[in-house]
Amino acid sequence: MQGLFIKWELRAVKWQYLLLEIIIAASLVMFITSPVSASMRLQERSLYMNSSRAGDTTFYKVSFLYMSPDPIGSVELLFCNDPIPYHPCVAPEGLDVSEATLREQFGEVGFSISEQSANRLVISRTASTPSVAGKSSYEFDNIINPTNSDYAFAIRLKTHSSTDASGPQVDFGSVRGQITETIEIETQVPPMLIFCFAEEVEYNCTKTNKVHYSDMGILDPQDTLTAESQMAVGTNASGGFVIIADAPPMSAGTNTIDSPDVPTPSRPGTNQFGINLVANSSPQIGENPEGEWANAVASEDYGEPDVYKFKSGDVVAYSPNVSLMKKFTVSYILNSSPDLRAGVYTTTINYVASGRF
Amino acid sequence: MNRLKSSIMVALAAIISIGLVLPATQVDAQGSAALGFPPKKEYTIEPGKSINDTLTISNRDREEALSLSLRVVDFTFNDETGTPKLMTAEDAPRTTWSLKPFLTIPKTVTIEPGTSQTLDMNVSIPQNQGAGSFYSAIMYSTSAPDGGNVGLSASGVTLVFTRVPGEVNQSLNLEKLGAFDRKKDSYVYFATEQPDTISYTLKNEGNVAENPSGSIIIKHMFGKETVINDMNPNDSLALIGQTRRFDSCIKLKQQEVDFNGSRSEATTCTSPGLWPGLYSVKLVAHYAQNGNPTQDLEGKASFWYLPWWFIFISLIALAILSYHIWRIVRYIKSRRSGASLSKKRTSLRRKK
Repeated sequence: MQGLFIKWELRAVKWQYLLLEIIIAASLVMFITSPVSASMRLQERSLYMNSSRAGDTTFYKVSFLYMSPDPIGSVELLFCNDPIPYHPCVAPEGLDVSEATLREQFGEVGFSISEQSANRLVISRTASTPSVAGKSSYEFDNIINPTNSDYAFAIRLKTHSSTDASGPQVDFGSVRGQITETIEIETQVPPMLIFCFAEEVEYNCTKTNKVHYSDMGILDPQDTLTAESQMAVGTNASGGFVIIADAPPMSAGTNTIDSPDVPTPSRPGTNQFGINLVANSSPQIGENPEGEWANAVASEDYGEPDVYKFKSGDVVAYSPNVSLMKKFTVSYILNSSPDLRAGVYTTTINYVASGRF
Repeated sequence: MNRLKSSIMVALAAIISIGLVLPATQVDAQGSAALGFPPKKEYTIEPGKSINDTLTISNRDREEALSLSLRVVDFTFNDETGTPKLMTAEDAPRTTWSLKPFLTIPKTVTIEPGTSQTLDMNVSIPQNQGAGSFYSAIMYSTSAPDGGNVGLSASGVTLVFTRVPGEVNQSLNLEKLGAFDRKKDSYVYFATEQPDTISYTLKNEGNVAENPSGSIIIKHMFGKETVINDMNPNDSLALIGQTRRFDSCIKLKQQEVDFNGSRSEATTCTSPGLWPGLYSVKLVAHYAQNGNPTQDLEGKASFWYLPWWFIFISLIALAILSYHIWRIVRYIKSRRSGASLSKKRTSLRRKK
């Protein structure tokens, strides 16, 4: 037994095993000696902005629940576009807290502003352990709101045992704020959606041929009746646009010509009404969308050549964001079966241009 | 009497025949159907207060006057994107989030060629109204023509959103996160084409439309990190009850464009220059209505980007490596068999 132990000891001091032993020992020391407490996220965090109008001077109420039992000597409030604490802080455009005052405090009290800049506030007190069970609130007056309503902003919160927000943090978290009301700035262009529709339209919608119907001719089971119309659309709204086609079925009294629910080739001799927004060879009709801006496109079901579909309420073209003017040519096909009841078959398609949310 | 009946039948048959043979009746051209309007309006109004605002509608046509009828319609979501589903039927039931009772607009307007007109609108929230989101759409319609087989009419829609501040029920749940293929319209775990979009799908189970904000961090297996600082650049909304997909470009290309005589900023997704390999995606976001608790959203996902050229080169490299390993193994084996042969010979010699 003693021999075995000596053999093991001799092996243990061999240099090959030395590095491994050091790592294990260091890990054990770290686990045993490191402090038990770690940073926790502040809970029940909220921000109330008395005015959410861009550029207004107003008061903010920041509330949160202290989590760790460690003494708190200071709280740092850093105003950034991004809430993530380890990301660089970009100050919200127009925001200014350099003249802010701490007008009210509830819960854990005794704080006063000790440091401030355009986007940073530090409130301090003599370090003491939080004793209030509920959340604490701090009201800061004389804050100038950000001017950009396009993006939300965050206040990164960090609590410290030190009185100057230095050293290790105790707890952390962020609250979110957003400007919801804008002010009219003359240099800014308000979002606008431009839309026109007719048999023929100019690219920029300044002129149309004022024909708002398509006469497709006389139905014949051997023939496909065709027609075309055009629409132009564009927007500077960041959310883009959609064009929805809304229409009852093509009908004559109680008799209707059905439309395929899926893109289908033109089939003379069957009842079929369909549209698409691209150039086709069967039958030869239509044109591809005109305009260099690639954001605005025909929807998938209406953007394939030689297949046609019509379903009321479908989106026929869209752009996910800003799009300069683009012109679409809508192709219509109408087929009839030999046993279709006689009559004048009509429908009215309402093309609706809408913003996106 | 019989003669009268037969005469009526003949007349009816003639009318039907004419209907079959003749094209649909021609009608006179109507006015302009070229309009410009605001696509979205957003307000925050406290109970008991109102807002007076204006709608600027332009007639783009330089020759014809534009006559529009205006009405308020409710809408909901159409799919996982930001497409509204308009409830245009006259008898459509009012939604629980309808702004109709609070919104006042003119019924009609006529705008001279090439000019704009400013219309007054008012949103009034009653004193006893609870907090939440309310939204409807203002629809501007040109008159429908009588005639032709296919009549065409054009309408424009302004979406109007109003927040009534107060204590609300906020609940967004992260359902999906990852690389998104716009062509396939689906999330992808294994991409052979370079993904340019990271998407996340949120289910809104609260009583308020939410617009989350935050960052997405994309990390390559060898440590290269790309950060999407604004994961909701269009300030898009998840409507009440909606499962909403938000798309964020990994790399944005921004450019100034001239729209309607003014400069506007346009953004598009551009190639993010990803290396082939495994990527982890981390979403860190939050959402809150003014005065309500800030809610955190966190999620992790991963995806492979392995372009065909990389797979091809990897296969060739693997084949070359396998060949060399095989040769080394063969060499070692031949050395061993050579060594054992010489051992045998030595032992044989000793025996002798």
